[in-house]
Amino acid sequence: MRIEDLIINLCDDPFNPELNFNVAVKYEEMGQSASAVTFYLRTAEYGHDTHSHLAYSSLLRMAYCFDTQNDRQHTVINCWRQAILVDPYRPEAFFILSNYYERQSAWQEAYVWANMGLAQADETPLPIDVGYPGRFALYYEKAVSGWWLGRREESIEIFNRLLTQDIPEHYRQSITENLKRINPDASI
Amino acid sequence: MVQRAVAHGGKLAPIVFPHDLVALMNPSVFIDSDGDILVNVRATNYTLYHSENKQLFPSPWGPLSYLHPEKDQRLVTENYLVRMNKELEVTDYSKVEMLSLHTPIWEFVGLEDARLVQWAGVYYLIGVRRDTTTNGQGRMEYSTIALNKNKWEAKEVARKRIPTPGEDKSYCEKNWVPVLDRPYHFIKWTSPVEVVKSYPDTEGTEQVSLRQGIVPNKDQRGGSQLVRWGNCYISVSHEVDLFKNYLQQKDGIYRHRLCVWDDQLNLVGLSKPFSFLDANIEFAVGAVILGEDLLLSFSISDNCAFVLRTPKLVVEDLILEALDYAN
Repeated sequence: MRIEDLIINLCDDPFNPELNFNVAVKYEEMGQSASAVTFYLRTAEYGHDTHSHLAYSSLLRMAYCFDTQNDRQHTVINCWRQAILVDPYRPEAFFILSNYYERQSAWQEAYVWANMGLAQADETPLPIDVGYPGRFALYYEKAVSGWWLGRREESIEIFNRLLTQDIPEHYRQSITENLKRINPDASI
Repeated sequence: MVQRAVAHGGKLAPIVFPHDLVALMNPSVFIDSDGDILVNVRATNYTLYHSENKQLFPSPWGPLSYLHPEKDQRLVTENYLVRMNKELEVTDYSKVEMLSLHTPIWEFVGLEDARLVQWAGVYYLIGVRRDTTTNGQGRMEYSTIALNKNKWEAKEVARKRIPTPGEDKSYCEKNWVPVLDRPYHFIKWTSPVEVVKSYPDTEGTEQVSLRQGIVPNKDQRGGSQLVRWGNCYISVSHEVDLFKNYLQQKDGIYRHRLCVWDDQLNLVGLSKPFSFLDANIEFAVGAVILGEDLLLSFSISDNCAFVLRTPKLVVEDLILEALDYAN
């Protein structure tokens, strides 16, 4: 559906979270991150009480929008944290935070957020991709950050277990490289 | 307003094109002497973050924040000149290449909220610039634009900072309303109505008239250009409720009204407040007649730009409503 049609639909029910979400997604697809933010934020504000999956997803997509604008890191992190406030029982925001801190070499934070994510059980599908590869990715973050925190044996055990699972090839390669580095004597 | 216009056969056209800033906002629509539908679109380096409803998800700096780069405090504006076809689709766009006349010395950089006009065959962007003093003093400026329609390139070729009439001591002048069929004339205030005239190539600004028209119950600030509609003029103004929450963080609600003016530019009618898309922050800075209808251009939350073809019937209903205000 074209953006103008989606907005016309919205005119009939301007505070409807689903209609706001549809407009936001379309603007994001069109590369208009600021426009998308406006409607994702409306989705979260008007959908918090009735459409928690939409509100949660919107706050995570908002973070991606701000990330594309560069140098808005406090706002990006704020969006992730607010998503957790909407639904603290989902793993996606915890994974994103863990991954972010891993890239910053902030190992304690990465380890904590990975463990928080692994403690959450709700993995019912979201209405849009929010950049969560699956539960294995939380274990991956836990193993990577844990090694830097002195949890070598735990890391090796997690990595080896992940290699027995059906995981994306780039994760498999990364795990193999990590194991060679941290446990060079072992046969993989 | 959008719902009403579309229900009566109007059309909403989002203005979207690739650009190298962050947001497209505050479009000013105009039809030139060739019959081309032109829109000046303000592009900024920031995203306006505005939480509505219960404001459960404010930014780190409050429910209403200008999210510029965190290592660059400036709020930077560029302008794009856009051409639309009769179906209100964007066919051409070009960033306006501005003259480099000074180094900006305040945080609001660039020509903001420029209205597009063509007077005596010359295109002007007329907006406010606040980057020439260390305290952000704002003055309306004429930017004379050379538009190459073959290559679709727009360049500023001259600039004039417009003084206020009299001592020119005010802090910030903005949102002066150009009167499309009276070259170089502007409505500076609505209550009382102050009409001023300033030429782009001579010094000074002259106060043409200062008369009390009908008295709005809320301060009406400049919005669209003033356009001739039958035996009157019309324009869209805006009004703002600015307030702070209990944390002293700023917030605001913007609404618009249709203004009706007589031939002497007396304010004789004012519609009830309306919104375009039920957002709390909206801003209309363009109006022009297309056929029998009125094109209005506006943005919401400083982040999305639109042109709305508003059918004659809707406009005339608003005019009648506005004229009732005085009774």
